[in-house]
Amino acid sequence: MATEHSIAVGTPAARPDWQALARRTWRTRFTGQSALLAFLVVVSVPIILPYFWMVVIAFTARTGGVGSDVLWTACAVIVPAVLVYSLVHMSVASRRLRLATGLILLAITGTLLVALVGERLHLNNFRFLWRADFVEELRSKATSGAQFPSVWRAFFNSLALAVSQTVIILTVASLAGYYISRFAFRGRNAFLQGLLVLHAFPAMTLIIPIFLMLYWIGLLDTIIGVMLVLAAIELPFYVFVMKGFFDGVPWDIEMSAMTDGATRRQAFRLVVLPQVRVGLIAVAVFAFIRAWEEYIFVRTFLIENTNWVMSLYLFWVADDVMGVDYGIVAAVAVFYVLPSLLLYVFCQKYLTQMTIGGIKG
Amino acid sequence: MPDFARAQLRRQRINFALFLGPALVLLAVFFVAPVIIDVVLAFTDMGRTLAVGKFTLENFERMVTRDTRLLGALGITFIFVVTTLGVFNVTFALLLALVTTAVPQRLGAFFRAVWLLPRMSPSVVYALLWLWVVDPNERGLLNQIVVHVFDMPPIDLRNNHPLLVIILANGFIGASLGMLIFTSAIRSIPEHLFHAARVDGAGSLAIVRHVTLPALRWPISYMTIHQSLSLLVSFEYILLITGGGPFYDTTVFSLYAYRRAFESGEYAYGAALSLILVVIGVVAALALWRLMDMKRLLQPPRIEVH
Amino acid sequence: MARVELKNLRKEWLGATAAVAGVDLAIEDGAFVAVLGPSGCGKTTTLMMLAGIYQPTSGEITFDGARVNDVEARGRNVGIVFQSYALYPNMSVLDNIMFPLRFKAIERADAERRAREIAALVRVDVLLDRRPSQLSGGQQQRVALARALVKRPHLLLLDEPLSNLDAGLRLTMRTEIRRIQRELGVTTILVTHDQIEATTMADRVVVMNGGRVEQEGAAEDLYERPDTLFVASFIGSPPINLFDGAADGSVLSVHEARIPLAVSASGPIVLGLRPESLQVGEGGTPARVTAAEPMGREVLYTADSAFGVIRFLEAGAEPRHREGDNVPLGFAPESALVFDKASGRRLDVRIAA
Repeated sequence: MATEHSIAVGTPAARPDWQALARRTWRTRFTGQSALLAFLVVVSVPIILPYFWMVVIAFTARTGGVGSDVLWTACAVIVPAVLVYSLVHMSVASRRLRLATGLILLAITGTLLVALVGERLHLNNFRFLWRADFVEELRSKATSGAQFPSVWRAFFNSLALAVSQTVIILTVASLAGYYISRFAFRGRNAFLQGLLVLHAFPAMTLIIPIFLMLYWIGLLDTIIGVMLVLAAIELPFYVFVMKGFFDGVPWDIEMSAMTDGATRRQAFRLVVLPQVRVGLIAVAVFAFIRAWEEYIFVRTFLIENTNWVMSLYLFWVADDVMGVDYGIVAAVAVFYVLPSLLLYVFCQKYLTQMTIGGIKG
Repeated sequence: MPDFARAQLRRQRINFALFLGPALVLLAVFFVAPVIIDVVLAFTDMGRTLAVGKFTLENFERMVTRDTRLLGALGITFIFVVTTLGVFNVTFALLLALVTTAVPQRLGAFFRAVWLLPRMSPSVVYALLWLWVVDPNERGLLNQIVVHVFDMPPIDLRNNHPLLVIILANGFIGASLGMLIFTSAIRSIPEHLFHAARVDGAGSLAIVRHVTLPALRWPISYMTIHQSLSLLVSFEYILLITGGGPFYDTTVFSLYAYRRAFESGEYAYGAALSLILVVIGVVAALALWRLMDMKRLLQPPRIEVH
Repeated sequence: MARVELKNLRKEWLGATAAVAGVDLAIEDGAFVAVLGPSGCGKTTTLMMLAGIYQPTSGEITFDGARVNDVEARGRNVGIVFQSYALYPNMSVLDNIMFPLRFKAIERADAERRAREIAALVRVDVLLDRRPSQLSGGQQQRVALARALVKRPHLLLLDEPLSNLDAGLRLTMRTEIRRIQRELGVTTILVTHDQIEATTMADRVVVMNGGRVEQEGAAEDLYERPDTLFVASFIGSPPINLFDGAADGSVLSVHEARIPLAVSASGPIVLGLRPESLQVGEGGTPARVTAAEPMGREVLYTADSAFGVIRFLEAGAEPRHREGDNVPLGFAPESALVFDKASGRRLDVRIAA
């Protein structure tokens, strides 16, 4: 072939300077990674800081002041520790060394923090948990609107709302999800497509007519009304999620149950349902957290201040008390967030299993 | 019809009612019915009394001719949606996805978790934090930095630049969803493609341009439509942080409808305004549905007996 | 072109056993070497380390004597063809091939010319406008090859290049790759689990197992003088017959057979007899045929013998022996292989004639 020598590789120019290349590699990798990390830290600080601040205030602020010196002191201690640790982590490869450094830094930070700010910590801001009249006490006059109920009333209302809504969703979504997944019926395709459209459709736009509907049915200003609305709005999503889980159960199990003499219903209850336990837990946790955090529907439909839920409670406390005592508001916020935070942390592995048609949620 | 078949048919009907019934009822009552009610309501004059007096077209007439605030709301909506979408929900989300996948796994996961915090917190808490951050007196977190670090007088973002505040607040939330979707898409690019590009001599930027971004074309379009719809329709954070104000300065169209109905008591007018959103919502939902992959969802079932 | 050396190369993934546990190898400039081994033996990991995609945990990689461990993939000027071909799906074939040239200071016109030349060499010049999804497996592979070669690499790496192709294509590509390598003279390392691929394409074969090199050399050397049991059983198709036995001085006892030894040995051993070195002929040990499998050009028999269950080959499409037949089996003394049972190493033992 005439082409052979023109393509013949020959030695590409001179032999490359491998040393220089190696140096350049290390340099670019180091600066590249550092720049990326610096970027991430910078954009994440506006998020981390306020949350940290909220926690700090909840445990240190006193009426009248919102001393943020605690916050900055804490930051001044923590930030250098984190920086030092990251430098060590990036330059040292040995795991043991990293672990040792981490522990030492942790100990130093801990003792410094205790020494510097330990005395400022107190639980007084959480007094709303055991005193129902803390608002009047602060404002020395009647609050705007009705009397503030005890936080526990709001708490249990929220709990009731979240739990009942979850139960409804679990039941309805499992039944529907199973049926769609396993049965052939006329209009199955249409139903699935309709469900998908409903899922993409923004339900918020319907808040006004739903309000009126609840009024006409007589469920306005009741927890039951809110519960039904919440369950219905999220239903398309949960039906798909449950369908996904049911799709994952092998047909053979059901088939053998039926050859063993069970009806479809029995097969569902005795054999298939236990198989999707993970799905049920995931849906339950997710639905619970959603209802716990719900604000807009609750605010719109619970018009008299007789039915309280935590989100409303926090809002009104903040509205009334914020100018005077940040600490209490922060404490209420921390108390409010705690259950959902705990659920997220402990049920994380269930939540990540949820998929909708194969796209992970 | 033989007994067996009759029993089958009866069970089939019962099964349908039992399994699918509750869902159908709930969906009909809370999705289908409200849409119809909204359509009807838009043509009435319902006010604070919650009673229907007459049927009329004056809501729409008012929208088109007499409502000055509406124009303002439309303008605000446009600025809000375009800016939040363009800067945060898509662009910044993309940036976050790219950067968190370029650093070691655990670090990337950590930062993604941080950016999920706004979306995962209750809206009241998130809004509260924002209010504290932009508090106009010296206690606000932002002002603490402004006053003590930059030695400038405290700034009042909430009253002077409320639009900026709501764009930022919604942007942080919006970026997190895109970040998740894009990250998932990036992770599904076969590793060998990256290896081949690196051996071919591509630097990090070239890899992003030639390997990563082409694979993200579909998720980006999907996100753009999905998020535009979401921004157009949701107003929860705006309501919590600025209330739509000062006055109506941050009232987007969806919030405008809400306020007209629940603050001014003009339920019919609010319904008419919402109707426009409902129509947009339906159109967008259909568009999104077309974009999604339907085949996997529609696999036929394999047992025909009841 | 480069002479490549691996010195005590190790790769350990966090918390797991070493994928590559100390590999020493020297590959001459322009050589075509095949690294052969079962899946999981560390061959692909070694390849990736050569390319700069994985970092060795310890040990050295040198090109022409210079250490390149710390040079990233981009700077090594290595061409690699992945098992999945890894073609960029959104670019045309021409753009795929030209891609590596973007990162060198070459004018676009020049780059295009080079790409077309190499495309002609691997015979994909008529496909330049297509997308990878429109190509067949063999075509994709050739495009990947072109992309690897267009940058005039020091080293060409091939990861299981033929395993995704059907039998006929495999034959064609085998010859193609060999031809191209010979024309360009680029140092080439091929990784595979298929011994036919290795022995027919490469000049030298390196057998790897469990992260280590078991033996290296020309294909015939590995076949006739395997250093270890593993190499003996891995190379050769159908696989070698292996029998446990014991050597005691000058007698080798395998099952019921006794074999006189010319050189003495002692201890537990393994006797290896290749099916193709066994012949039906007078004076051999009696064996009773239990199965006959026609395999096209030859027939593979399974038989019971004094050694145990033994397999042997006979040329010819038609089976000449039936189940139950007694045939005397013999073998040339030099073709017998004796291995130490504990270490697996071949013993230099000779069978008496």
